[in-house]
Amino acid sequence: MDAVTLIAFIVAGYAAFVTIAAALGVALRAPRPRWLDQLGWMLEILAVVLAIGALAAWSAGRKPESLSTFLGYLGALVCLMPLALQTMREDRSTWSSGVIAAAALATGVVAVRVMMVR
Amino acid sequence: MTATSPATTRSGPHLVLLTVYAIFVLAAGARSLVQVFTRFDEAPIAYSLSVVAAATYVAGWFAIRRAAAGSAGFAKIMLWVELAGVVTVGVLSLVVPSWFPDASVWSKFGSGYGFVPALLPILGLLWLWRGRTSGPTEGV
Repeated sequence: MDAVTLIAFIVAGYAAFVTIAAALGVALRAPRPRWLDQLGWMLEILAVVLAIGALAAWSAGRKPESLSTFLGYLGALVCLMPLALQTMREDRSTWSSGVIAAAALATGVVAVRVMMVR
Repeated sequence: MTATSPATTRSGPHLVLLTVYAIFVLAAGARSLVQVFTRFDEAPIAYSLSVVAAATYVAGWFAIRRAAAGSAGFAKIMLWVELAGVVTVGVLSLVVPSWFPDASVWSKFGSGYGFVPALLPILGLLWLWRGRTSGPTEGV
């Protein structure tokens, strides 16, 4: 298993963890805690590391099946979580945790897709 | 991603629906654009239906925003149209597979997206139904 695949697995696993934590917040009807934002930003850092790794592998000669799909996934990977966190910046309600859960789940799915198409 | 709607409708389950719709606008839109501009001849029906799906998600996003602000009429129509689209394309992809040499967003009821395309309009309609029975969407 190469380094990028390993990072993608870590991103997907961590995204699943953030999704579960955020979904629990919705289930418990609790206001969104600050630490959930921190978990989200940590996921974003991991996603950026994965994107850089995938771009490095591409520049080193690894050709994806479809370049446009590959770059689209990379864009989505790094944009989803900041968009969700920024949109919900002033909303600490229960359902804002649901937004974080959806964004984290999508980030995890995109990380797996990056691994598949790169 | 979210509406600048009145304070009473600012928060609620529609926020999650809006997020998922936004993700699908991105996913279906990007997918359909790539399909149409790079290999439209391979599966014209399937790729055209992907464009329709992307357009439906854009309309659905606006419809839910409007519904959260108190005007549910457009959302009712759009969610039923979306559900009809998923069911019709899902059935066609199983009954006439020759029309779908490559998958569209709604092929096999959205199995390529974990069946979320089939669940999404149902969840939206449930949200609308709950809003109708329990009054305007309240903040949490």
